[in-house]
Amino acid sequence: MSIFNNAALLIGVPLLFAFSIPLFGLISKQLTKWVTLLTISFNATFSLYILLAHKYPSIVVMGNWLPPFGENLYIGPVAALLVSLISVMGLLIAIYNLWSIKKGDVTRFSVLFLMFTAGASGMVLTGDIFNLFIFMEITGISSFALAAYGPEKRALGGAFKFLVVSSIGSTLYLLGVTLIYTQLGTLNIAEIAARINQTTPGLLTFAGVLIVSGLAVEAELFPFNGWVPDTYTGAINGVSAALSGIGAVSGVYALFRIAMTVFGKDGTYVSSYGNLNFMAVIAVLATATVVIGELSALTQKNVKKMLAYSSMAQMGLVAVGLSIGNELGVYGGIFQLVNHSIAKTMMFLILGVLVASGVGENIDDFRGLWKRSPFLSLAFSVGAFSMLGFPLFGGFWSKFAIVGASIQRGGWYDFIIGLVLFASIVEAFYYLRIVGYMFSSDSKFPKLKTPWTPTIPIFILAVSIIAIGVFPQIVGTFSAQAASEFTHKMSGYVLNVIPTIAAH
Amino acid sequence: MMQEFLQNYVYLIGSMSLIGIGLYITLTDENIFKIIVGLNIIESGTNLFMVAIAWYPKAVMPIYTLTNKLSINGKVIAADPLPQSLVLTAIVIGLGTTALALTIGIKIFEKYGTLDVRKIKEAGR
Repeated sequence: MSIFNNAALLIGVPLLFAFSIPLFGLISKQLTKWVTLLTISFNATFSLYILLAHKYPSIVVMGNWLPPFGENLYIGPVAALLVSLISVMGLLIAIYNLWSIKKGDVTRFSVLFLMFTAGASGMVLTGDIFNLFIFMEITGISSFALAAYGPEKRALGGAFKFLVVSSIGSTLYLLGVTLIYTQLGTLNIAEIAARINQTTPGLLTFAGVLIVSGLAVEAELFPFNGWVPDTYTGAINGVSAALSGIGAVSGVYALFRIAMTVFGKDGTYVSSYGNLNFMAVIAVLATATVVIGELSALTQKNVKKMLAYSSMAQMGLVAVGLSIGNELGVYGGIFQLVNHSIAKTMMFLILGVLVASGVGENIDDFRGLWKRSPFLSLAFSVGAFSMLGFPLFGGFWSKFAIVGASIQRGGWYDFIIGLVLFASIVEAFYYLRIVGYMFSSDSKFPKLKTPWTPTIPIFILAVSIIAIGVFPQIVGTFSAQAASEFTHKMSGYVLNVIPTIAAH
Repeated sequence: MMQEFLQNYVYLIGSMSLIGIGLYITLTDENIFKIIVGLNIIESGTNLFMVAIAWYPKAVMPIYTLTNKLSINGKVIAADPLPQSLVLTAIVIGLGTTALALTIGIKIFEKYGTLDVRKIKEAGR
């Protein structure tokens, strides 16, 4: 156990600046966007420093109360990788926002965006099951308000739906946490994880059902993801990018931290305590998400709605990979999470630039886009190819690992991976349709003038997709460490937080 | 006996039925305002449940004084203070969610002129 208290700044600095932004807003509204940018770039630099200088595994203790008595943050391989991902995506979206958010209440948008990043980082870092709920609500409330931002009518409906579903989800989560508390009398994730076999199996199962269904809302898994299409379509493109690149990351992390570390039972394949194997439940829900998401995306004529359904399906694929439960599967899942976050953020940003320069949101408007804006069409195709898992693009390595892991596991996972591969063919059909439209037909419209500010994040993201595709070890090394943390709950998590605790 | 039953279970049964009533309202009602009320009822149910598990009949307050002994013969008789502090946080979060939901509801009424979910859906098409 090493203590690295400075890491609390990853949550503290964005929250401090989020609430002092109204003061900067008194000077100038444009200044607030730059303050956001600088704050998130501090976060990105610091988290990348933690990741690259290998400052993990370490914990942050509050007021010198060592866990399990005090609240703590835990920075393991998973948290270090995901918090870097969240802050870097936040930084790139903040650069895009410099250009895109001009009208309306810029000050409050900046406050909400910073709170959103701080909450998502907190969800990934926290080591306390009730703090997870608080950070979930910080992320949630700021993302409802962000989703309602903008001039369009449809944003309000989507935001309201998101609010209702997400509030019910987090209340169910809180109820599950309370049930666990009645059994064990602690809220520390590490201590619960070590003592989970002392609970009554029936009550544990009930608590697990409540918690998994609560967290599945944020992780966009099947029966709880009705909000996704409306909210993503209604929100402005920068917010949709943030929801899929930042919010979904922290949601999936929370779901699997609970399912694999808290409820998990180590073995060749991680399963869970209680009367119900939650890993299997999540695998079934995730497969349903993939199939339903891809089939719904196929029927959409609106590109933004298509991306929303595709985002849902990709989160399902991430969950399938993680739910396999061996190191290769978790490696693939985390890798896919990184790839999806990069590619989907980029595609939403491209859509935002296109819509702002007068290209519509329908598939037909993409005809002949190659002639009008070569850079944006190329970048969009790079994102689409990464989603499909073409070789030399980031998505190839993660899909390859997920398929490999399911074949290793065998049994009923053969059936699951069959359904997932079928869904991938459907996915290939609709993405290649757009790419075909962009490159094959001619357009009579004039060339687009692309402003330079939003092209910076798009360029960086496109280059990083190809870089990950050519050198998969950029993400692969960290994702392999993350896999080892997720699959060995005692040595990977519990003993790093409370070294003295007895193994069960 | 009736009194004992009420003392032991009334809060647990009450909180669970509040959660059930709230879920029913939220999932079936078509008026946005009533949906928000439903959300609030679920939250109240959860908060009541958390307070109820911390307390049992004849528990004393969890503050150590000369006259208020927290344990008798090694057995703790004080109420558990932690869930009550959690409830405070949960109440504040619920307040924030409700305020935001009402704000969005007002905006929806301004833009669509109705609070009926079905009519809003039709107008969106």
